[in-house]
Amino acid sequence: MQIRKKYAVMALMAAFTIACKKEKEPIDSEKPTIDIRAESAFPKQCSQIKRGSTVTFRAQLSDNVALGSYSIDVHHNFDHHSHSTEVEECTLEPIKKPVKPFVLVKSVNIPGQVQQYDAQLQIDVPADVDPGNYHFMIRVTDQSGWSSQRGISVRIVE
Amino acid sequence: MNKRTIFTLLLTSILSVPNYAQEKVTKTVGLKEVLVEGKRYGQSAEGAMSVAILTNDSLQKYQAGSLMQTLDRVPGVNAIGIGASQSKPQIRGLGFNRVATVENGIKHEGQQWGLDHGLEIDQFGVGAVEIIKGASSFMYGSDAIAGVIRLSSPTAPQENGLQGHINLFTRSNNASYGAALQLQGRKNNWIFGGGVTHLDYADYRVPTDTVYVYNYAVRLKNRQVRNTAGRETSLQFRTGYVSERFSSILYLSNYHTKIGFFANAHGLEPRGVDTALYDRSDRDILYPSQQVNHFKLISRNNITQGVHKIWLDLGYQRNYRQEFNNYTAHGYMPPVYPQDMAIPMNLERLYDKEIYHITLKDEFNLASHRLTIGGNAEQQLNHIDGWSFLIPGYRQKAMGVFIHDRYTINEQTILYGALRYDHSTMHSFPYQDWFASRLENNQSVHVVRADELHRSFHSLIWSLGATRQIGQWETKLNVGKSFRAPLAQELAANGVNYHYFSYEKGNTSLSPEQSYQMDLSVARSIGSANFAFTPFFNYFSNYIYLNPTSGYDQYYGAGNQIFEYAQSKVQRYGAELQVEYRPLKDLKIELLGEYVRSKQLSGSKKGYTLPFSPAPSLVLDVSWSPRSSRYFKEPYLSLDSKWTANQQHIVPPEEKTKGYQVLNLRAGTQLPLGRSALQLRLQIQNILDTKYMNHTSFYRLISLPEQGRNIILSLGIPFGEQNRS
Repeated sequence: MQIRKKYAVMALMAAFTIACKKEKEPIDSEKPTIDIRAESAFPKQCSQIKRGSTVTFRAQLSDNVALGSYSIDVHHNFDHHSHSTEVEECTLEPIKKPVKPFVLVKSVNIPGQVQQYDAQLQIDVPADVDPGNYHFMIRVTDQSGWSSQRGISVRIVE
Repeated sequence: MNKRTIFTLLLTSILSVPNYAQEKVTKTVGLKEVLVEGKRYGQSAEGAMSVAILTNDSLQKYQAGSLMQTLDRVPGVNAIGIGASQSKPQIRGLGFNRVATVENGIKHEGQQWGLDHGLEIDQFGVGAVEIIKGASSFMYGSDAIAGVIRLSSPTAPQENGLQGHINLFTRSNNASYGAALQLQGRKNNWIFGGGVTHLDYADYRVPTDTVYVYNYAVRLKNRQVRNTAGRETSLQFRTGYVSERFSSILYLSNYHTKIGFFANAHGLEPRGVDTALYDRSDRDILYPSQQVNHFKLISRNNITQGVHKIWLDLGYQRNYRQEFNNYTAHGYMPPVYPQDMAIPMNLERLYDKEIYHITLKDEFNLASHRLTIGGNAEQQLNHIDGWSFLIPGYRQKAMGVFIHDRYTINEQTILYGALRYDHSTMHSFPYQDWFASRLENNQSVHVVRADELHRSFHSLIWSLGATRQIGQWETKLNVGKSFRAPLAQELAANGVNYHYFSYEKGNTSLSPEQSYQMDLSVARSIGSANFAFTPFFNYFSNYIYLNPTSGYDQYYGAGNQIFEYAQSKVQRYGAELQVEYRPLKDLKIELLGEYVRSKQLSGSKKGYTLPFSPAPSLVLDVSWSPRSSRYFKEPYLSLDSKWTANQQHIVPPEEKTKGYQVLNLRAGTQLPLGRSALQLRLQIQNILDTKYMNHTSFYRLISLPEQGRNIILSLGIPFGEQNRS
């Protein structure tokens, strides 16, 4: 009797072990990256953008497996609510109330499941927007749903 | 091996238990303080489950910043900490709406789904805690899928009189000062009791001067986490009539807290901080902050009528949560907050939830069977407000009927069975943005964030268990199916959580989560050693999770990453180990280990774990409790070391977390004073001021280390006619 019970317990343990057998499926645990170190990359921390001009956002995006999409978002930071993700600090103008701040929300699917992508996007900055401190968010995902973001401080000038 | 084979095996082994009979009755194996015990639960429906019990005394001894942080030491139990003073329960790696907290028979309902929403319970008002590890849906319905934290108020004295104690305490790390008064009394059959707790704390300290929010270095003044100060006030009152055949007790409580969030990063969002303003005081609470009030009224009644024992529990709760923040125009929100808005400018979110609950059950004997039949019904009404939208308002109605059977075969073997049917309806209310977004064709539209939705859900669940004494071994086995009905936001959310850069989309076609589980417990004592091992296995056929996709939504999601609610197959397994050994009468060595591994078996996150998976950990504790002397009664001194392994298994957007070792010291004694005795306790948590990160902590994602060294001193002053517990 006792022995039978022991076997039952052992069978149970075996079931456990088999059920929990390791399957080695490689899963992606690396985030994509945003590289703005290149000479041609724009904007960089503390960059200035002339209102009424057209600038080109440019960054090198990469992932170990396959990139998904990227998104950029430009917002005023007149109230200093937001902070950049960068090491360097930029000088901030005094706090002020927005009248007609520049707003840009744009997302782009990266085609072809690539590992490297040279993101380029033309941005028209209207001539009548408020000059001042802005926050330029760059975000990128990969196919697994990992994401990275960088918040760059920029200034729109007359 | 597939799940069917495993379950067939398990069932066969349960069903064959009665065949091996007739060992002598042996002593119950119990581990003191954190114990797995058979006898006590032989009487109740959860007899075949693994239950850990902590008394009020242990809660005081291990006191941390909040209830769940105090309970974190129990193997298989973790706290999802939100700074130093708020936390949410997690059992065997599952938390949020997958753990039910039950106080005085009624399920505690707040906004459990929220990452930064702590459990609204005062740890000083708790008399005893029972932690049921493993699915308990058959007792409590939806939400108890991972386990139950069951709390009960301090019990009334056996004899007439009034007794109580005042507890004064201070914690060095966040300069907490607190006082708790608890009172219990009896006059013949009438009992009464009550409590008041108040505590006030400053910003907590971490062992670093600088934290990195992404690459930006945030300097911390005096190593304090800016704006995490808070206050907590709690009141409890209870009264009733208790006799052998009849009892009726009324519990009334109110919990209130106000606490700040780290000012330099809200969620994942780096925030600009006026350090001159924020560093002026470490006790003020600026934005962002939260304020929560939880009111509870419970009536528990039971009457014995012949062989029947009938229970009726009624409950009313109101959870009122406000989240404050400076208005920030994210996405398409207007740059300046409109003056004609009815919502206050600093009210980011508000949730006002009212919950009505009724449980009726009848326990009776029928031959060797102890049967319980009953049912419960609950209604939740959730209102929302504030300028930020995450989840819609809703009305949820749920009812369930159940039958439990405990069949005593002989003194060594008891079988358990349960069957339960649940029906619930969800009516979520429509919500439209108060501001216009720019859509595809350059239209300006007030986006509908949630459509009106009506859904209803059914679930039939079951549970089978056995406890058996096999020689020196006390074994318990439980298998069963449990469920969780989808939440309003899982079905109907369509909002942007700017603090997480996520656009969260519900899925109206979700079905109730189904889970199959197997829990085993083996325990025995060998001489002066006690041992308990509790492995478990769990399979979800459709686990509901928020899946981060590779897409951004420029229009409805204001450029944020799309997170969609989806369902996938999930497998979980793990075990807890507890060993207690007394080499000498005064010396105790304790070893507590826990391990859990989760894996998604299907869907777009196939191969990944579940979010907030706790890393394996091991606690080694050495306690010395010399005999009482004239001046020192029941003194104790203990040193414990907790090793936590790396957590390499992560899922977006998590980060891998390094392993760590933390040392804690505890000491205490009673100082006789006339006929009573003062209780003095000291704790030094994180003695070496180790800098580490906890994978299950809310602030892990922004790489904020855990609390540094913390010295906790408490003084208990008893009063009244009976001072002995």
